[in-house]
Amino acid sequence: MKGAQLLVKALEQEGVGVVFGYPGGAIMPVYDALLDSPIRHVLARHEQGAVLAADGFARVTGRPGVCMATSGPGATNLVTGIANAFMDSVPLVAITGQVPTPVMGTDAFQEVDIFGITMPIVKHSFLIRRAEDIPRIIGEAFHIATEGRPGPVLVDLPKDVANTMTSIPPIFEMKSSDPGRPDPEQLALACRLLGEAERPVLYAGGGVGMARAVDAFREFAEASCIPVVTTLKGIGAVPTRHKDYLGMLGMHGNLAANKAVQASDLLICVGARFDDRATGRLDGFAPGAKVIHMDADPSEISKLRFADAGLLGDLRVSLSSLPTDLSIEPWRAWCAERKAEHAWRYDAPGEGVFVPDMLRRITEADPEVTIACDVGQHQMWVAQHCHFQRPEQHLTSAGLGTMGFGIPAGIGALMAKPDGRVLTVTGDGSIMMNLQELQTIRRYDLPLKMLLVDNASLGMVRQWQELFHEERYSEVDLSDNPDFVEVARSFGIKAFRVTRRDRVDAAIERLLAAEGAILAHVCIDPKTNVWPLVPPGETNDVMLEGMSA
Amino acid sequence: MNHTMTLTIQRVEGALIRALGLIERRGFAVTSIDASADEAAQQMELTIEVCSPGRSVDVLARQIEKLFDVRSVAHVRTSEPAVQLEESMAC
Ligand SMILES: Cc1ncc(C[n+]2csc(CCOP(=O)(O)OP(=O)(O)O)c2C)c(N)n1
Ligand SMILES: [Mg+2]
Repeated sequence: MKGAQLLVKALEQEGVGVVFGYPGGAIMPVYDALLDSPIRHVLARHEQGAVLAADGFARVTGRPGVCMATSGPGATNLVTGIANAFMDSVPLVAITGQVPTPVMGTDAFQEVDIFGITMPIVKHSFLIRRAEDIPRIIGEAFHIATEGRPGPVLVDLPKDVANTMTSIPPIFEMKSSDPGRPDPEQLALACRLLGEAERPVLYAGGGVGMARAVDAFREFAEASCIPVVTTLKGIGAVPTRHKDYLGMLGMHGNLAANKAVQASDLLICVGARFDDRATGRLDGFAPGAKVIHMDADPSEISKLRFADAGLLGDLRVSLSSLPTDLSIEPWRAWCAERKAEHAWRYDAPGEGVFVPDMLRRITEADPEVTIACDVGQHQMWVAQHCHFQRPEQHLTSAGLGTMGFGIPAGIGALMAKPDGRVLTVTGDGSIMMNLQELQTIRRYDLPLKMLLVDNASLGMVRQWQELFHEERYSEVDLSDNPDFVEVARSFGIKAFRVTRRDRVDAAIERLLAAEGAILAHVCIDPKTNVWPLVPPGETNDVMLEGMSA
Repeated sequence: MNHTMTLTIQRVEGALIRALGLIERRGFAVTSIDASADEAAQQMELTIEVCSPGRSVDVLARQIEKLFDVRSVAHVRTSEPAVQLEESMAC
């Protein structure tokens, strides 16, 4: 058996059903072997589309997404997607072809040191030197991608190794590792802190979903009645309509969420990492609070904020070990008042489409829809206004903020759940970053729904220039955009335009009822802003407010 | 502050660069390094002196420890920097 066949067999053994990729010289042996495999290969139209689709697939399933590309430019085109998965702790196995080992290091045609290039953005990486190592390395790659805090693993396979004949080595199996239990002393400390707290807040991050700790988190939140805030990735840790949910915290968070965190005396951080978009100026973040930090990653605890109690290991164990009989009624009432006081308003003046309201209504009409976002103002509106029941319904490029994520991630989500309903919310800037993937939608007849929020600008950057650069607008005008309805149609995708508020209901119905792929092109005022906003460098006490319309 | 740490890493491709790269990327400067190989165990022992930018060296140790090629990390001692801060590159 050839090395390449062994690789494909190893993927099958890992239960891989679909891989996303793009062929080329150095990875041809693997593409040849794929022809004889039940694994479905999805051809993207750019390697970045392939890796981001694999990322979306992984976010929905919790299993590693798999992508492959050839050496050189194929491999470098994966880099953004690998970094995206790294920043958001998404399990991913990226397989790259490499030039044959005898010419490695000679600047051979299409040779790049992808192993070296990706070193700071992978959880681990392998360069395969011997065909007989393939099953072991693939086994380890899948294990590493998923154990503890998940992340991307790169496997670089030189062409001569892929072509080497070898006997079939024994099946390689990794024992699944136990995420571990929190240290009893730290746990006792956490219990004491909780018992003494008068104003506790649960601060949930993406780790809650990834650790499959949603049930445990909800049980604890329900029983303790502690108000909940989430990060961008933590959205859905409790249903967004939950009575004690105050919303997302941070730069574009809800005022009630930020006020509660700033006033709290105990922050219970569950699978979050004190990211600057969430904390604002760190030294003024929750200034009076003690911290209990639960995480699967030992290097997160006390990285940015000292943890008075650090609970390492399985979030589920930690959550179920904490006391829930607290007397925090006055605090809950205070938080509920803030929540009512700062509830979102949808009575924006004007005749134009008010995107926050449109987004909210889409998720009211279809509570089970999965939303894959692009990056910019529209992404923040999704986070603020859409309703979600579970974290894996909300796919967003949080840590890296990768424009171009939305459509590939939507493709990956549909490949993971062909019967699911998936909506990509994108912007007129972002859609152009992976526009070619409209053809992937067409090729595989994917019923992806797309909502393109077109403000004829790089809205988020424009907003910052307005607010923090004295309205000196620099390269944010996109009024020369193509006709997106025509563009979609030229890919064989249905499309229609919405410009008026009184047409929004009909548009939502058309979007949700459509069979097959469809794009709604929503044109809005370029001067619309996202509110509220914590200016960069300020603490979360400073929230600018305005009315977007 | 200067910190001395010892690392035992596996002798596999990329292990050395991965460990040193991480130290620099996290904002620490490597001010001295001493390496010896244990052929039989396929391991390498590193004694590294790093200069801290004011970040926690314990967090750094845990970040290094997470690398799959790293067998062990120990923080041996902390000392006043031998080089003045201004003179050293990264601090
Ligand atoms: C690949 C990439 N390049 C640049 C940026 C910086 N950036 C962040 S938001 C944004 C504007 C996005 O424009 P659009 O997709 O139209 O969204 P809008 O803010 O207008 O809703 C830009 C350029 C980025 N996040 N990603
Ligand atoms: Mg825009």
